Amino acid sequence: MSDPAELYDAILTGNAKKAEEITKAALEAKCDAGELLSKYMIPAMDEVGKRFEANEFFVPELLIAARAMKTSLELLTPAMAAEGLEAAGRVVIGTVKGDLHDIGKNLVASMLEGGGFEVIDLGVDVAPEKFVEAAQQKDGTIVALSALLTTTMTMMKKVIEALEAAGIRQSTKVMIGGAPITQQYADEIGADGFSDNASAAVAMARQLVEG
Amino acid sequence: MAIEGLRIIGESINDSVPSTHKLFEANDIEGLLALAKLQDEKGAAYIDVNVGPRSPEFMAEMVKKVQSVTAKPLSIDTPDVATAKAGLEAYDMDRADGAKPVLNSISALRVEMFDLYSIVPFCPILLISEQMVDGQSGPCHTAEQTYEAAKSLIAVAREGGRAIANEDVIFDPGIAPIGTDSEGNLKRLVAAMEMIHADADLAGAHASVGLSNFTVMLPPNRADGSRVKGPLESAFITKTMPLGLDTIIGSVKRKYELLAPDHPAMVCLEDVLKADGFDGIMHVREFYS
Repeated sequence: MSDPAELYDAILTGNAKKAEEITKAALEAKCDAGELLSKYMIPAMDEVGKRFEANEFFVPELLIAARAMKTSLELLTPAMAAEGLEAAGRVVIGTVKGDLHDIGKNLVASMLEGGGFEVIDLGVDVAPEKFVEAAQQKDGTIVALSALLTTTMTMMKKVIEALEAAGIRQSTKVMIGGAPITQQYADEIGADGFSDNASAAVAMARQLVEG
Repeated sequence: MAIEGLRIIGESINDSVPSTHKLFEANDIEGLLALAKLQDEKGAAYIDVNVGPRSPEFMAEMVKKVQSVTAKPLSIDTPDVATAKAGLEAYDMDRADGAKPVLNSISALRVEMFDLYSIVPFCPILLISEQMVDGQSGPCHTAEQTYEAAKSLIAVAREGGRAIANEDVIFDPGIAPIGTDSEGNLKRLVAAMEMIHADADLAGAHASVGLSNFTVMLPPNRADGSRVKGPLESAFITKTMPLGLDTIIGSVKRKYELLAPDHPAMVCLEDVLKADGFDGIMHVREFYS
């Protein structure tokens, strides 16, 4: 039988097939799903993030590691539910209305899933009311907004205003990102967080969950 | 120019380039104009001007200032109609020896930008990776959708007395980073270029991509120390010039070249084109690891 500890390396190196095999074997051996997650899987993704920040890993490595993590997570989900384990947080993500760019948004969504978050991806060209509708379904949701165009970044403020109008701004955190976005812009529109890459977005989401 | 028949729209004066953003933030106009002069000297056919979220008035000033140091035609680069209008109004066609400016870009989501044609005739970059079908906007996922977006946009280009000639149109099929291509974007792009190239009604139209986007987020060097980005971008050029690519928005500093079929970057590109899902990304990793 595979050693569950090998799950760490399988995810770190983005070997989805190996990650699947080990996870299946671990579940058959009645290993604790929470322990697999906290001891091997999340540390592996944390290491991926560190290597990315250190320019040892690049986006392809992020993507394949996130895919391996997702493969294992999907297998673990029933066991996690049975053990009463919850996701690290709930994130509603999308590219704002008028903007069809999805590469950055998809990267962040993958990394958040890899980081153990429940991710609801609303896609591109998403109207403010759609974000509100999705955020209303659970308190404490993080709304993650992406924009690549200078003409569409202003829509982020409209999403925040829509959350306020719906009376859920206090219970909803908003993080933003995209090529023209800066911390200064996040401050200007009253967003709770900003990140300029997919790895940092996971750290930011965790920070927002912890309050 | 490194490759005969390939025009470069010099990409440096763009607010999304970190080093240029600093110049904009510091209002270092001389620094920005030095970029224009350098790109002119290095053979750029056009000088792109993208001022980010700054005002239409700022765009107009930048156009005038850039034209004061170069006679090359400009590419007015903004998705904002007012900013585009200001840039076009400020553009001096005589200074560019009668050359029309490029307008970067018009897509199905902003066809109202065609109305600016009455101010100054321009060469539109038509972004055909986005579509509007039955009032619903979305990215083009297939070559067929991309081709239809091209047909649809060129029909609008010819409407309303504009009669924009094919020779003034530049199609941009929307290039995505090869290091993130798990959804077959490169396949879509190449197949769409083949369809456009084969359509007699579109004969004479140009094709362009923002080539630096192709290799963004990849490491600078391969494991053996050789470069990653230049060869992969050159491989893309080699593959698509026979399909009509004749323009790139790119760097005048990059040494683009046509590659032999057995060059590792060409082999990587062909492998990605044959791959499905994440296998394409794995081929890119193999190329640089």
